[in-house]
Amino acid sequence: MEAISRQLDRARRGESEALSMLYRQFLPGVFGYIAARVPDRTTAEDLTSEVFLKMVEGISHLRATDEAGFVAWLLQIARITVAGYYRKREHLPALVSLESDSQEEEALGNSEVSLRSYPSQDPAERAETRDEWNTVVNAINMLTEEQRQVLVGRLILGYDVATVARMIGKKANAVKALQFRALQSLHRLLGKRDFSERATRVQARQRGGKP
Amino acid sequence: MKPLSERLNDRLERRDRRSWKEGEAQGWLHAPDRDPEIDELVTLARRLQSTSHLQADPDFASQLERRMLIQHAALSRKQPAHRCFFPRMWHMNPAPAIALGFCLLVLLLGTSMLVVAASITNPANPLYVLKRWEQHVQVSLSNSPTPQAELDLQYARERLHTLASLTNPAHDDAYRQALADLDKQMNDATRAISALSVVPERNRLRNELSSFEAEERHTLRTFLPQLDVPDRLVTTDELGRLGDIVPRLLSVEIVLSVRSSRHIIISISGDNIQPGAQLLMDGQVMEAQGSFHNGVYVFMLSLSGNQLPRNIGILNTDDTAAQTTTITMKSSNENSNSNSNSNGNGDSGNNGEHGKGNDGGKPGKAPTPDH
Repeated sequence: MEAISRQLDRARRGESEALSMLYRQFLPGVFGYIAARVPDRTTAEDLTSEVFLKMVEGISHLRATDEAGFVAWLLQIARITVAGYYRKREHLPALVSLESDSQEEEALGNSEVSLRSYPSQDPAERAETRDEWNTVVNAINMLTEEQRQVLVGRLILGYDVATVARMIGKKANAVKALQFRALQSLHRLLGKRDFSERATRVQARQRGGKP
Repeated sequence: MKPLSERLNDRLERRDRRSWKEGEAQGWLHAPDRDPEIDELVTLARRLQSTSHLQADPDFASQLERRMLIQHAALSRKQPAHRCFFPRMWHMNPAPAIALGFCLLVLLLGTSMLVVAASITNPANPLYVLKRWEQHVQVSLSNSPTPQAELDLQYARERLHTLASLTNPAHDDAYRQALADLDKQMNDATRAISALSVVPERNRLRNELSSFEAEERHTLRTFLPQLDVPDRLVTTDELGRLGDIVPRLLSVEIVLSVRSSRHIIISISGDNIQPGAQLLMDGQVMEAQGSFHNGVYVFMLSLSGNQLPRNIGILNTDDTAAQTTTITMKSSNENSNSNSNSNGNGDSGNNGEHGKGNDGGKPGKAPTPDH
């Protein structure tokens, strides 16, 4: 694969192919970061779109020349975008949705987990899944920004400790400590709750078996 | 034993190297010697990593990619390439951009300094040198001799104008520097005009030069009353070079009285010495009785100290002045044709500054003006 620095150079020169390659490479990390911080998939997709459109606008001014610098820049845009989302939400009155179909399906977090695909799925089970995920999001939102970035870098983007250290501007030992404290805090906040159990069960049902 | 954070990281990295299924199959994931806390954190990490909540939908991913490219195309149309040259250069390779920025800054500062220097009139100002250099370059860059001569003449006018602002005794040095510059500029202009091969142009500029010289003589004369003695001396010298009528000393003779070394008689002969002229000794105007007869001015005076003057001169009534260091010394009991090189004050070793007598009763050497 072409080195990230060359891709960045080409993207800065305005080559759309390089932009696409960067997008495909970093979409999982950005989406994972945002989806871990907002309660529903629709919002996560909207905010992810905002981040990549901002990337297109700002890439010609980007100073970073390596992967860690570029990811740090993208996650900074994502952090600001999520903060903006929560700021706006504070000023809006709480809305109770009367719709029960497509939007709620998407709110479950996966198009596979939808009533269209699984007409037999119990609405109560869907609501339970959504509540459980909200709990996870709340727990992740209680972490520090550095802890969140370490989890995204290590678990979603699959970077080694050294790359994450460059990304957040810390030493390797600090990254290991942040990683430990982040997982420990999540574990404490979530208790014994198995937030992925339900999704796993639904996926198994799609394959025709039992969880 | 390693700290928990290290052990957790080791487990996560081992997990990365092997698949989870493999790990489970081999039993290392939940081996009995594992720390239960670490096991739980590793399990949590695995669940976070594999949860579908954090994975983007492929349809959404392709839609967003299309949107992004459309946005990119729209932006590219809005921003022409030349507008982005510097920022792009900066982001791609900052070193040349910094160098270019530095050059632009130096150019800007240089231009600003030249603009400021152009308005400087005081030769004591350090930027005055820059102004002269700027004018020199302008003359050098002129494409033919006629504009060069015209520029030289124009700069000579500017120098004269500059001089007018420096007649205050507080600007002594600056005045003398400006006068020297004016003299040099006049020489340059005269040389440039003489070198012109086109006769009508040469005649026209010669006429202009003559008019300017007349103007310069008149202007310098108006300065004289405001100047102190040293500046009057140099200004008189400049007037002389311009062909004006100025005093010129031919001989200066000091006759020492035998009875009292303090009483001396000074005889000054020369051209254009005016009746009523005052005696100058070492640049000071002296209160001395003088009589003017047959082009020779004779002053009688008593010296307050033992030192004889090093410079003798006269200050005409029209404020022109001249002085010399070539002085013939005589004693009053000597024959008129016998000069003495002694100053009578025990300072006989200092002959050079006061001139030497000679055996033939003539001045040791011709007096030279000293400014």
